[in-house]
Amino acid sequence: MDVNKRRFNILGLFKSIRTSMIFWFSLLIVTTLLIFSVISINYTEETIMNNSIDYTTRLIKQVSRDINSYITYMENISSLVVKGGDVQRYMFTETGAEDKNELYERIVTQFNTVVEVREDISNIAVVTPEREYIINDGSDSLNENVMLTDVAWYMQALEGEGSILTPSHVQHVIKNNYKWVVTLGQGIKNPKTNQNEAVFFIDLNYRLLKDLCEKNTLAANDYVFIVDQTGKIIYHPKQQLLYSGLRKEKIEEVLNCDSSYFVTEDGDQSMLYTISVEEKTGWRVVGVVSLSELMNNKQETQRLYMLTAVLLLFMAVLIAILLAGAVTKPIKELKDSMKEVEKGNFKEANVPVRFDNEIGELSKSFNGMTTRIQQLMVQNLYEQKEKRKSELKALRSQINPHFLYNTLDSIIWMAEGGKNEEVVLMTSALARLLRQSISNDNERIPLEREVEYAKSYLTIQQMRYKDKLEYEIDVAPDIKKVAIINLILQPLVENAIYHGIKYKGAKGMVKIVGYREDEKIILKVIDNGVGMDEETLTNIFDKSKAKEGSNGVGVYNVQTRIRLYYGEPYGLQFESVAGEGTTVTITIPRNYGEGRTD
Amino acid sequence: MKKYRFYVTVWAGIALVLFATAFFVYYDTEEAEKRRIIYIAKVIDEDNDFWTQLIEGVEMAAAENNLAVTVVAAESEEDYERQNELIEWAIAQNPSAVLLTPISYTETSQTALKVREAGIPLILIDSVMDVDIADSVIATDNIKLGEVEGSFMKQFATPDSQIAIIGHVKNSSTAMEREYGVRIGLGEYEKQIVDVVFCDSDYDKAYELMVELIEKHPDIDLVAGLNEYSAVGAARAIKDMQLEDKIKVAGIDSSLEEIQLLEEGVFEGIVIQKPFKMGYMGVEAATNILNGENVLKNIDSGCELITKDNLYTEENQKLLFRFRDE
Repeated sequence: MDVNKRRFNILGLFKSIRTSMIFWFSLLIVTTLLIFSVISINYTEETIMNNSIDYTTRLIKQVSRDINSYITYMENISSLVVKGGDVQRYMFTETGAEDKNELYERIVTQFNTVVEVREDISNIAVVTPEREYIINDGSDSLNENVMLTDVAWYMQALEGEGSILTPSHVQHVIKNNYKWVVTLGQGIKNPKTNQNEAVFFIDLNYRLLKDLCEKNTLAANDYVFIVDQTGKIIYHPKQQLLYSGLRKEKIEEVLNCDSSYFVTEDGDQSMLYTISVEEKTGWRVVGVVSLSELMNNKQETQRLYMLTAVLLLFMAVLIAILLAGAVTKPIKELKDSMKEVEKGNFKEANVPVRFDNEIGELSKSFNGMTTRIQQLMVQNLYEQKEKRKSELKALRSQINPHFLYNTLDSIIWMAEGGKNEEVVLMTSALARLLRQSISNDNERIPLEREVEYAKSYLTIQQMRYKDKLEYEIDVAPDIKKVAIINLILQPLVENAIYHGIKYKGAKGMVKIVGYREDEKIILKVIDNGVGMDEETLTNIFDKSKAKEGSNGVGVYNVQTRIRLYYGEPYGLQFESVAGEGTTVTITIPRNYGEGRTD
Repeated sequence: MKKYRFYVTVWAGIALVLFATAFFVYYDTEEAEKRRIIYIAKVIDEDNDFWTQLIEGVEMAAAENNLAVTVVAAESEEDYERQNELIEWAIAQNPSAVLLTPISYTETSQTALKVREAGIPLILIDSVMDVDIADSVIATDNIKLGEVEGSFMKQFATPDSQIAIIGHVKNSSTAMEREYGVRIGLGEYEKQIVDVVFCDSDYDKAYELMVELIEKHPDIDLVAGLNEYSAVGAARAIKDMQLEDKIKVAGIDSSLEEIQLLEEGVFEGIVIQKPFKMGYMGVEAATNILNGENVLKNIDSGCELITKDNLYTEENQKLLFRFRDE
């Protein structure tokens, strides 16, 4: 695969690998947590909903069963009284007064026992339409202001078969009573007429119903209430509030509900109503559970998930930072090291190898590579130096052989002419010249010796050209000891004589001037020869063109050697006016290298 | 140095996250401190259904709204000085709100003003004062209450009728308003009111006043009691003098005795207030104020006319008889 074709790289999105890693880690964690949260919250919600329906249904069924057995128990008490015979005999049989009193006592004792034992029973009574009555322990009486025919439940029990149950009502049939009760009533048959001619009733207060409804209460805001088939309240924990109109209960919905539960939304309150119909009484036992509380659970769960997500995210970022750090740190070291190498600083370039993994391998290879490059650089430097040395040597050894012949010729003529003194002068100058050019292996020599050399040369030439050449040397004393590369003045002097003075009709003058200018040494070779035109001046350093003018190669050599040795800004500079003369300026640094080489 | 800073950042981050966790976890369990309210009633009288039901309403609403409530009252319904002391005491308790049933229309207001000055919300229940300082007033519309009684009595009035009104406490706002309402309800028969007397909410005094009235005006045939004490006291006197067929009595408020007197036919009718509702709504108003919600300045808790015929209808027995679990 072509690397360039891979447009998208997971680490390429951000500038640093660390940011990329943190980003992708976080993305991964967030996505995972989000998916998990959604799944589990939904699952939790459904489970909680189903659980609460299950739970309340079971609870309500249990309450239903309890009520059934409670009412059955009460009916049994009722049957015991109704079918026991005592009441019938007392009410319907004309017996002697004494006998009747005895019966009355028995019944009252029986009633009293029941009322005393059962705290949930408020009243127990037998009342005939003719206002004959036995109530509780016999101390209570009928409310003389109440017409029994106006009392609906009484008439219902009297006229109906079996037992009846009222919703919650105030018992006003008994004088000074006025208690809120649920009444279980049953007609008592007169055996003679086989008609109901009295009503036995038990008033149940709320103690037991309350216990039944509250013993299995769910959460704080949940409750159980009971209504009869017409929607009248049998028991409700907030009965007083309902009766005062300060609270409403969804009784219509309960009556109209076909299934065993329904959910209502009332503002932000959502309630689950679970209904169980008790068969014996037709009462509906309703359990009310606040779904908002379940929502609370849900929110709590959500918050927990969010919290976990934040925590995990934080940990992920932390790990990503550490991991990214571990990965990028050696890479960064490599990068920094490479920068040093780029700068040519090999000493700092060695990267520590910490691990035995890919990055460790990379570091090892890098270290190997820099070491190798360093070796090559050192070798190259050495070779360059050697090469330059030999080059300099080669350039230096070029002393014009014609000059040597001509000088020797001049010496011969002078010897033949018997000019001994001059022969000695010239020969000694030549000897100095040769010794200097041959013997000195040093690349650099003090400036005074270089000047001496040029002076020897000029001496010879002056003797040869007699009246044609004059020279003058003016070098500042403070630079005489400065080491410079050798053989740079003589070729220029030679050049000035052969190209400037030689073609001049009159006597020529060569002047050597040396002085210090800041950190530079300026040497000038000035002649008042024929000078050069523009073209010659521009081509002065051109090797091939210079060759035409025979000795021009000298200028090229000097320039090349200065540049080779000292570097770019130094070298020769020509100024020339045709017919007036030429000035060559040599610029070299004052202090170079380790100082003088002598 | 750089490394050091990095680790400090990391550990600070961890600490922050742990702190946030702790905060989130314990945020819910941090329970708000239970607000405390004080209800200064007129009187705490176990025998008086009205005040008992009102206090029950206060207590139930407090329970429903998760408030702690303290109910205090003077020994008698006229002792405004003692009530003023109680108001001062209540201010010193620095409750979240004060509910008050002022004894006097004129003598309570200066002390009640201090409640407002202390920055405590003030809710009046059942009665008002000569200055309008309450955040909310929950009361029966007493004029309407009197009017219902008056117009009920009107059906028994003839051009020759002599009408007496027995009030409870002279200069109390309720007595004044109810009397005014009765007069409106009586319409053209208002002129036949022969006397208005006050029993200071005392059965025996009402009884005596009734006896005196009958001696003074033997032809009285219509009597209006303006509260439970005055109505029952008057009815007892009439019953004892066996004048119940001649004199028709109407009353306000209910009690077991009043209901029995109604059943017996001494009372022709009684107009009842809804004290439980009043107390309950008073606390609800306080709760709403504390929650920063708007409440109505005046809330009428309503009234109902009860006669012997409708005494035991489902609706009325809910109003007349206190529901008790026991």
